[in-house]
Order: sequence, then C-alpha cells, then structure tokens
Amino acid sequence: MDTHRVDPATISVWRWEAMIVVVMLSLGVGAVSLLRFSGPALLLPLAAVLIAIVVAWRLPAARYEALDYAVDAAGICIRSGVIWRSHLSLPRARIQHTDVSQGPLQRRYGVATLKLYTAGSRYTRIDLPGLEYDEAVALRDALTARAGAGSGV
Amino acid sequence: MASDIGIRPQQRLHPLSWVFVLVAFVRQFIVPLVAIVFFGVRDDGSLRGALFIVPLLIAAMWRQWSFRYDFDADSLVIREGWLFRNVRRIEYRRIENIDTERGVLHRLLGVAEVRLESSTGGKPEGLMRVLSLDAVQEMRERIFEQRSRATIKATVDERESSQVLLQLSPGELLRYGLIDNRGMLIIAAFFGLIYQANLIDFSRDTLEPMLRRNWPVVSAAILDHSALWLLFTGIPLFLVFTRLLSMGWAVVTLYDFKLTRQVADLRVSYGLLTRVALTLRLPRIQAVQQTQSLLHRLFDRVCLSVDLAGDSYSPQEQRGDDNRKRVRWLAPVCTPAQATEIIHVALPMLDPETVPDWRPLAPRARARIFRKTALVFLVIASTPSFLLVRYGLPLLLPIIVLLAWGHAVTYTNHTRWALTRDALLLRSGWLTRRLFIVPRNRVQAVKIDVSPFDRRHRMGTLIVDTAGASGMSGPLHIPYLEFETASRLAQALYRFEVEPEPAITSLPDAH
Repeated sequence: MDTHRVDPATISVWRWEAMIVVVMLSLGVGAVSLLRFSGPALLLPLAAVLIAIVVAWRLPAARYEALDYAVDAAGICIRSGVIWRSHLSLPRARIQHTDVSQGPLQRRYGVATLKLYTAGSRYTRIDLPGLEYDEAVALRDALTARAGAGSGV
Repeated sequence: MASDIGIRPQQRLHPLSWVFVLVAFVRQFIVPLVAIVFFGVRDDGSLRGALFIVPLLIAAMWRQWSFRYDFDADSLVIREGWLFRNVRRIEYRRIENIDTERGVLHRLLGVAEVRLESSTGGKPEGLMRVLSLDAVQEMRERIFEQRSRATIKATVDERESSQVLLQLSPGELLRYGLIDNRGMLIIAAFFGLIYQANLIDFSRDTLEPMLRRNWPVVSAAILDHSALWLLFTGIPLFLVFTRLLSMGWAVVTLYDFKLTRQVADLRVSYGLLTRVALTLRLPRIQAVQQTQSLLHRLFDRVCLSVDLAGDSYSPQEQRGDDNRKRVRWLAPVCTPAQATEIIHVALPMLDPETVPDWRPLAPRARARIFRKTALVFLVIASTPSFLLVRYGLPLLLPIIVLLAWGHAVTYTNHTRWALTRDALLLRSGWLTRRLFIVPRNRVQAVKIDVSPFDRRHRMGTLIVDTAGASGMSGPLHIPYLEFETASRLAQALYRFEVEPEPAITSLPDAH
C-alpha cells in the first residue's frame, strides 16, 4: 500500500485562510489594545499577533507534511493531524455518497476537498482536503466504482 | 412508481385524533402553560390564562383534518398540511418497523399512536397520532403482506419460529427498580417542577410551621435534633424511599415486559398504563452492550441494550418526539446466562462456539492511568472547597496515591479486548462492568487517535464507528492500546470485506 501526498498548492490555500483569520483577530485585538493600553503594555498584544502570524505561516506546511492517504482494494486510509494525530480507515463498501467541493481560494489554486459520507454515527463525513482537482475527481471515481453492491449499513 | 398527483390519499386519522395531538402540544409547552394558568389565577382569580389553549386546539384539529394517508401499489402515501402541502411516499419494502404506543387514554378509546420507521435517518418516517386499532391492523397487513411477498422468509411458519426469549415477572421488575434507582430522578424532577412553578416557598420560615402543623411528631424529631436525625434517620429513610419509588416505577412502566423472536424480528412489549410494542429488525442491530453495575452483581443480573441503525442521537430531528431517546433495551434485567442466549439471537453472525481470546491493554497503560487519576484527584483536593483540609494534605496524599493506584490496577485488569472471526469485543470498567460487542460486518469506519501523550508512549486509542452508536456512549473506544496493536486491529477491521479470514493470526501475541 503506497501512500500519496496531497497537492502542495494546498499549503498556500491554508496559509491564506489562516492569514485572513489572523488579520481579523488582529484588527479586533489591535482596536481593543489601543483603547485600553498605552506605552510598553502595547508590546504584549503586538507579540501575540506576531506569534499568530508565525503559526499561521508554519502550521499549514506542518499540516501538509502530516497529511497523506493510501487507496487499496479495501478502501482508503487517511493520516492527518500535527499534534493530535489520527489514522482513519474507511472501507469502500461503507461510502454512501461523495462530494468534490471547492471554495474560492481552493479554486484559485486548483485544489479541491473530497468529502466521503458514511452511514456511521460519529464519522458521517470524512474530508480529504488539498487534492488537485482532477485527482480528487479521479479518486472519487476509483473509490465509488466498486462500492455499488450492498446498502452500506 | 406512480406520480404523486396520481393518487389522492383518502384514509383519515381516527376522529378523536385531535385530543392526542392537543395532549402532545400541551406536553411540549407544559412549563409555560403551568405558569400561565397559575399566574392567571393569582392576578384576577379567573382562568383567563387557560384561553391560550384555544390556538393549540385549532392547530390540533387542523392537523387531524389535513392529514391523509393511503396505500399505493408499492408504497404508503402520506399527505400533510393544506397550504404548505407535503406528500411523502414510503416504499413498503423500506419500512422496517411499525411501532405502536398506547397510553391509558388510547386504550379507553381503542386507538394507538403509530410510528413507521425505515432503516435510514434518525426520525420516524411517519408518525400517526392516532389510528384506530382496526386501521393499525390493516396497515400491518398491507405493508407486511407486500414485504413478505418480496422476501423468501415468508415461507417460514410464523408460529413455529415465534419464541419467547425473556419475560420479566413482577419480582424481576422489583429487582430492576431496586438496581436502577430511577426514583431519585423522579424526586428531582418533582422538586424541580414545584420550584419552577413557585408552588411552595422553600425558605425555612414557611416550611417549618407547615411541617409542625402537619407532621408534629416527625418534624419535632427532625427540626429539634436536625443534624443527628438527618444523619441517622433522614438519609437512610430518603434512600429507602427513593428505592421503593423506583421499584414502583419499574413495575408500572415495564409491567409484563416480554421479548420475543419472530422470524427475523425481535419484538418488545411492556407497560401497565402505557403499553409499548416495538419491533427490532435484526439487520438493524449494530451492536450490543451488556452492563453490570455493583448492584447488578449483587443480584447476579445484567442489563442488555442495543444500538440500532439510524437511531443515533441528533437533537434537531428528535425535538418533540421524546420517545426516540428511550434506551433500546433487549433486557432491562436478566441473568448472565439469559444475556448470552439473547446476544446470540440478536447477533446471529456470532459463532457460539468461538471462545474469545481476551487481550490486555498496553503494559504501560497502568502507569499512565495511575498518573492521570492521581493528578485529577490532586486537582480536586486542592480546589477552594477543599482548602479546609489544607493541613491534611500530607495525610490526604497517601490516600490519593492508594486510590489512584487501586483504580489503575483494577481498571487495567478488567479491561480486555478480543477480535474473533465475527466480532470485536471489549470488556471495560471495574465498578460498572461493560461488555461491548460489535460485529465486524457492522463496522463503518475505524480511526486511531494519537494524542501527544500517546505518542510519547507509542500508544493510541482505537475508535470503531457503527451506524447506530448511541449519543450517550458514542462509538466504541479502546484506549491505551500499543500503537502497533491498534493499527493491526484497525487494518483487520478495515479489510474485513476483502479478506475476512486471516486477521487474527496477524495480531501480536498476548503479553
């Protein structure tokens, strides 16, 4: 079973997303601190924002490094997570239906998220983000091709 | 399938349906309604507040009038509403259960509340409030006639294969009530309601004269020597009272509990006042759980419940239909031997000959559990409310260590898992012991979670998801597994469809 990486372009997507969050939070934090603090106390929120920027820059790359998947006759296995790691295995026969979805940023970088739906109770939707769009479609077709038999329950 | 315009549903609900719809409405709004009625009384002495019932009454009658259903060639058609019309088609072959529920009022009027369930979704496909018994019988015949024609199982003689698996005598029910102790909940709910409705002022100034007036002897005893009396009579009396209450509750609600097997179905019926009849289709059973608390062990009894497909907790869909949250019992109380027998009926894929090869958790699990428990105890012991015992901390420390060590040792000794050819089994807990059985062909997705602590010890938590894992317990968790073991176990479960056989041999030996 050989493992595959997702498209590295997804790092840029995640960085953009993280940066947008950081900018929004910084605006809020900045406004409050300017009203409340003065002088050297302002360094504290500034440091927090700087740390957030560093994390927002570094985390997507780490997330990419930690994410891989493998497809075989039985189904798909997905490894993900930087600090809390998870290894998820989903048999083909359990895939109820699938989505290939793209947000605006993902479209810009040509990546897509493959969403696999199961009849389970906790993991009813399993996401594999950061796939190249064509690859996501191909993977979807490969996974659902033989899943026809059985109700999946 | 015919188009929806093709058929005009003609059958109506029972003419008195509005009564039950109204009761259901009122139940939903019980707290505001009680408040309205009481405040209405206090303000000007009239029951003007009760007028709020009128719109509910109109809504109830409207619902009865606009609800129609009928039997098409291959499906049941239900039409609801008039302006915003909703026509629903349920194919007969997809209907798994026709469950009925009959309270006292239902029985007086000869009607039943009917729920149609299919194998998908958390919500019943059709809720009919209410139908006459003849209509229910007709519906049963129509739907199951279609289904039995479609399946080969119809050739099996119904009577021959009908078999009573469990029947609870009043004695057993008393035992169940004693173990379950639902009385505490009833009392809590009762006081909650009284408190909410401001019926009684709970301050001592009003309570004391009232007690003295009504129960002079008791109150003199309690109030004049309060602390001692409370300790030596009040608390034991209260405990006895709640147990008695829950015994009574058990006898009333579960009266004549019967679990029968009919072809491929399990039928459950119980209740003295409200009579409940449920059908559990075997293919829908996803997992079985056996629970044995300390009291269960004292009486040599266990409790069996099942997870059904499509039964998982989803708060949005279940609003207003509280019956869905009911625990799916196979047996509220039964002997361990009966439990084993019922498990094999409920999960026919299990091979009764297989003796599970029980395996322990990772060897270092004990040390980790000990550290975690000790830490939790320490945090609790050092919270402000315990600061009184601040100087006793040196004394407390050995106790904490002892308790945590005891817990870690007994927990790891009692937690064992096993993978057989057909199922994954887990025994866990030491005070309340649980046995989970998940058939391998019911596994949906398998996940291993590795926390930073797990990673340091090369461990992981195995999580096995099924289609019916209940909201309370969730999917099956096996924590503190050797990571290597967890991933082999996950692979074995994941590969079941493609290579069912060799899985067990690839597992590492027991330590």
